[in-house]
Amino acid sequence: MINVALLTWREMSRRNFFLGAAAATAALIAVTGWGFWYLARIHTARGTPVTHLEVLSMSAVLVILISYLFNFLLAVAAVFLAAPSLANDIESGVLLPVLTRPISRVAIFSGKAIALAVIIALYAFLTGACEFVVIRAATGYVPPHPAQAVGFLTLSGLVMMALALLLSTRMAALAASIVSVGLFIIARLGSTAQSLGIHFDNATATHAGTLSQLLLPSDAMWQAALFNLEPESMVAAMSNSHAWAGPFFTTAPPPLAMFAWSAAWIVVIAAFAARSFALRDF
Amino acid sequence: MDCASVDVHRLTKRYGRIEALRDLTLRIDKGEIFGFLGPNGAGKTTSVKMLVGLARPTTGSGNVLGFPLGDRRARLHLGYLPELFRYPEWLTAREVLRYHAHLARMHGIEGEIARALERVGLAARSNDRVATFSKGMQQRLGLAVALLGKPELVVLDEPTSALDPSGRLEVREILRELRRAGTCVFLNSHLLTEVEQVCDRVAIVTRGRVVAHGTIAQILGEGHGVRIRASANGTPLDRILARFGRVEVQADGATVQGLAQDGIPAVVAALVEAGAAVYGVEQLTATLEERFLEMTAERGS
Repeated sequence: MINVALLTWREMSRRNFFLGAAAATAALIAVTGWGFWYLARIHTARGTPVTHLEVLSMSAVLVILISYLFNFLLAVAAVFLAAPSLANDIESGVLLPVLTRPISRVAIFSGKAIALAVIIALYAFLTGACEFVVIRAATGYVPPHPAQAVGFLTLSGLVMMALALLLSTRMAALAASIVSVGLFIIARLGSTAQSLGIHFDNATATHAGTLSQLLLPSDAMWQAALFNLEPESMVAAMSNSHAWAGPFFTTAPPPLAMFAWSAAWIVVIAAFAARSFALRDF
Repeated sequence: MDCASVDVHRLTKRYGRIEALRDLTLRIDKGEIFGFLGPNGAGKTTSVKMLVGLARPTTGSGNVLGFPLGDRRARLHLGYLPELFRYPEWLTAREVLRYHAHLARMHGIEGEIARALERVGLAARSNDRVATFSKGMQQRLGLAVALLGKPELVVLDEPTSALDPSGRLEVREILRELRRAGTCVFLNSHLLTEVEQVCDRVAIVTRGRVVAHGTIAQILGEGHGVRIRASANGTPLDRILARFGRVEVQADGATVQGLAQDGIPAVVAALVEAGAAVYGVEQLTATLEERFLEMTAERGS
């Protein structure tokens, strides 16, 4: 299992994944860093500089928007890393001689899954840390619970990784990737339906949203990350308002049981994927 | 003690409604080179995949190296070169072998790798990435992977399909070395002359069924006729020879179809008795290619 994990890691390195991801992320952080730096120095229509309080409140909203986009990026990256990692090796025949070695298929699968999970988590935490440090340097703003938020974003990525791995045991890489991203979007829409259902007291929409989150808890993890990024003042303002919060705000984190469900979901889906891989013919 | 490397009984494999293989029964002993022949889609690769544990039989059972089909313990002593050989292009040849050596829990890994590379003629390119290899070199690398760690059973699926004539010659020599070392080789090949030159026994499979198996001599049969160069002196040759088989008269003699080697003295005696002048007698034997085409055509029709 360790040999397979190390090989997967080496593959990412030799295929310049790390270099490419580092360059793209550095560019992203540089652009957003410049944006926040500029934000702290803009003037209002009256020609007066924005106050520190205004910078902090604008930064809070922008951090949520950037995190939302990062959540999508991480989910798509997890899918497009995981699906080809297994499906391409199956399709190309690279796995054939490996599978005839005295190592169980579950160990081969686990090696790949663990390496991918470590890469996704490291990427999420390194990017999150760099981004938050840059934002703090530019504006002085720090979200309430950045580490927890990145943790939940990572879990959302791992949910998508597990799903893509499961599908790629039986589907071509491209098909598994497209289906995974499609389901991610459906879960996002389900979550929006849930928040609308709660707001308008509509049981059908609420239950449909809850069901979609149970079936694919990627968005529930985004909601948890979101709650950890919102300053208390923002939560209080939204709670006092009677307007619909929309997909970028939440007034409460998902219930505690949802975290347990999401963690269990990742383990169970990965176990199903391992079993599917172990039982198939090549 | 059972000395069979492969011993399988009535293996059948179905993919949905398609029956890829039916009732494959084989026994291959240690130190034997076994050829597995058949046209495209006959079920050869399916058979190979079941032997090495890549596919499960729908019905049937068997042992490989003394362990049930699919048992991981057998894979400690198994080498396999797939028909569609692909290795990670971003690794060097040495790294590919090292990876497999680790997976196979070998000891003295670097020595094993050096020996395998030397054996297949890749020692000079050992530190080059697979991406820079020609198809033939990748097949050599695949062979090196299969030969790592002195396996007791080597399963080769079309091992020379990408090699030039000198490469094929080298592979034949490697196969003979393996036989001398007591290794069992299961050779799946389209190249009948190659099989004829190195295999101790062969099986011919077509449309998912084994239609013949045995030694090369058994497959070829005792001969399917006798060619006689002779001139008649009175009684025509076809009348003299009619009782021995189907006669085809030619300008310089005749061919008697269906006549075995032990019938030749009687034929010669009959010709001499009838006053014919006999200049030469030659037994006609089929090539493996002819027998293969006959058998696969029979099943096909």
